[in-house]
Amino acid sequence: MTGNTQDIKFYDCRVIEGSSASIILDNGKIEEISRNFTKGAGIRALCGGSWGYTSLEGEIDLKQGVEAAAKLAFSMNSSTPKEGVELASINSPQVKDLPEIRIDPRDVSIEEKVDLLKSIETSAKVEGVNSTKVMYLESEFKVEYLSSDGIECDYELLNVGFAVSAVASENGVYQAGRESRFGYGYELFEKENVLELAGKAGNTAVELLNAKTPKGGEMPVILDQELAGVFAHEAVGHASEADLVLEGDSILENRIGEKIASPLITIIDDPTLHEFGYYPFDAEGAQSRRTEIIKNGIFNSYLHSRETAAKLGGTPGNCRAQGYSMPVVRMSNTFVDNGDARFEEMLEEIKDGIYLIGSRGGQVNTGEGIFQFNAEKGYLIRNGELTELIRDVSLSGKTLEILNHVSLVGNDLKMTAGRCGKAGQVVPVSDGSPHLAISKALVGGA
Amino acid sequence: MYELARKALRLAEIAGAEEAEIYYAASHSTGVNFKKDSIENAKDRFSEGIGIRAIVNGAVGFASTNSAAQIENAVEVAVAEARVRESDPDWVSLPSNGNYPTVSGIFDKKVEALELEACIEYSLALIEGTKEVPDTLPTSGGFTRAKGRQLILNTNGIEVEEESTAVSGFVDVITVNGQTSTAYDFAVSRSLDIDFFALGKNAAELALKSNDGIKIEPQKTDVIFHPFALSDIIGEALAPSLDADNIQKGRSGLIGKLGEELAVPELSIYDDGLIEAGIETSVSDDEGVPSQRTTLIERGVLETYLYDSYTAGKAGIKSTGNGSRSSYTSPPSVGLRNFIIDYPQTDVIADTQSGIFVNTVIGAHTANSISGDFSVEARNAFTIKDGAFDKPVKSLMISGNAFELLKQITGAGFDVRKVGGIITPSIRVSNMSVVG
Repeated sequence: MTGNTQDIKFYDCRVIEGSSASIILDNGKIEEISRNFTKGAGIRALCGGSWGYTSLEGEIDLKQGVEAAAKLAFSMNSSTPKEGVELASINSPQVKDLPEIRIDPRDVSIEEKVDLLKSIETSAKVEGVNSTKVMYLESEFKVEYLSSDGIECDYELLNVGFAVSAVASENGVYQAGRESRFGYGYELFEKENVLELAGKAGNTAVELLNAKTPKGGEMPVILDQELAGVFAHEAVGHASEADLVLEGDSILENRIGEKIASPLITIIDDPTLHEFGYYPFDAEGAQSRRTEIIKNGIFNSYLHSRETAAKLGGTPGNCRAQGYSMPVVRMSNTFVDNGDARFEEMLEEIKDGIYLIGSRGGQVNTGEGIFQFNAEKGYLIRNGELTELIRDVSLSGKTLEILNHVSLVGNDLKMTAGRCGKAGQVVPVSDGSPHLAISKALVGGA
Repeated sequence: MYELARKALRLAEIAGAEEAEIYYAASHSTGVNFKKDSIENAKDRFSEGIGIRAIVNGAVGFASTNSAAQIENAVEVAVAEARVRESDPDWVSLPSNGNYPTVSGIFDKKVEALELEACIEYSLALIEGTKEVPDTLPTSGGFTRAKGRQLILNTNGIEVEEESTAVSGFVDVITVNGQTSTAYDFAVSRSLDIDFFALGKNAAELALKSNDGIKIEPQKTDVIFHPFALSDIIGEALAPSLDADNIQKGRSGLIGKLGEELAVPELSIYDDGLIEAGIETSVSDDEGVPSQRTTLIERGVLETYLYDSYTAGKAGIKSTGNGSRSSYTSPPSVGLRNFIIDYPQTDVIADTQSGIFVNTVIGAHTANSISGDFSVEARNAFTIKDGAFDKPVKSLMISGNAFELLKQITGAGFDVRKVGGIITPSIRVSNMSVVG
């Protein structure tokens, strides 16, 4: 280590220690029981405009880690010097109101968990289903954060959840149904009617066998809560991440204060909600807080790290990392806020179109503002009524056009837990929405 | 931790494991990343850990850790988990044949010795490349080099150790001053034979050429998929059905299709763990089974599925050397090695009267991995007219089925690329359904 510590104007460390367990039940058989014990740290150092980052696993020598990161930052700044990075100032976070846990999953035996999975599987195996898979996940971890700003804080979290998938086949056609729930504490399995959810997954798979593929084209649509939530997250949420904005990779650059959506639309990111994207402070020690991304159709705020908040003006609190990776700007619990329309009103409004349900994932190009999502299934809407079931149906288009074509917002907000990938890192999130009616969208089909 | 691997194996036996396996993996990677046209950070990542498989009465338990202090605990947990499970009648045994082939080109001393300054130079070359093209800016990207070491030990006498290196470059570009189009390029290699400047330039040129896209009518037409687009679709919509685990569990569109003509007779597909300098090349798979070359599709006919040691034991055959792990934290499962798509090559664009060329797709991961149905958004797509690129296409949905696609291949280009482990030229498919 050279004598360059005085050139390092900021450093911070996150030490994460925990364990995770998973049980996989596949076609009635336990396929895997595994447990993983981990300890590691991610350390950042800032020199001028250059970040050095070191991640270490196992027993951690923080001093050595800080020196290694400092050396990277110093070398970078020497060979490619550039404008210094400023960090928005923060206060020590208050760690309070963590999700309450009534039943600690570690107090539940493996046998009991396996029995639960077996009953979930039995429920999913409705007539016509020929393959099932059920997965149980549990993870506990402690995060300790400290920085050269003098912030020191920590918290512990414990997640549990399950996912079930069912596959039905007939004459070479295969269709799947999936359901999952994630939360905090083993009581999740009491709160949610998991057996009913499993049955739903099984029924979806069977029903889809005889579903038709619609003709593609432009038409009015209704999105269910899950698919509309995916839209809010993928198309709007990502484009509002300030690091992407600074990279010039967002259609929302320089749009604050502009009307970008129907006045019915308010989109919020709120890490304080006890949903799957919850955290008390982010990966920079910043207090978590609610952000109105879009307020009544007006673009209101980006999501920030300390660095982007200093550059663009804003409040930090959305910087997150997977494990020991370098933190980047991320969403937490992202949702379209409730409106006042009832589902029946939407059907009348749409008259002839498609009702799209659930999501098999999607992707978005934030720079061009275009997206593509595949729905799990859907129904044709004819004359204001739901008719045939359809499958292999997707929604694509321009984010801003869709936001402006929202004609009704429902009053039935529902959140769905998921995982979001960005910069090679996956973090737990949730997203949600009430039902949305959209006057014109591009539907892909056969 | 490396020194503790043998001890962990003994501990597992002492704890009551009838068979046991230790998978040790360590890596050190250095990445230099940029945002817009300035270098933003350097990352050093040290990772090291072990995964333990313990077998008791034909039941498997698994635990892993990256902490030396937790090894004993992890070993005991793995054995305890195995005891909880019912005996698995399909379990045969951990691998035992340790006669390994020699492979070459997977370790490069120069990559191992690369200094941070050199990593910065390579990262800057990506940026410089984009500057050759007017009206474009890089948005993000970077250069990474990595060195890995892996050791597999089991109680059946397997002991195999290997070191490898890799470098990669990635660049994302957006057009400025007018229309907005984006494009990316990337490359991965075992040694420093990538032209990073050319990667940057190529991505920028592609972004610029994609400006002023036209709208096209829904139609059925010839589509030529660039290796990036094709490997995405093949990886998500076809490869899962070749996985013996999916076959055995009723989750594959290829059940009962061995020996059938699955593709046009000009097409062959190989899975090969041995090719020189391949990204998925190594002497053994991730459970110590010697690597091999497997013919999956020979002249259109499906010859075999892909097996790890468990699924092979269940089927009563030999593993194809496809036991794969994403990290020491997971037990092995079936995964692709170098997946080679072989079709007679021509100047495929010049041979195409009319059609569409697609560079990349988004949404391939939403494909139905059982039925093979996919619906993707094509990016950086161009119309082809009289054997040449004509106009960029603004937005395009392509839907189809991976199995049908194999029967509709009518051509391949000279432009073979290693897209990670998938090695393929551009492939022309007739009668694809596109919606503009």
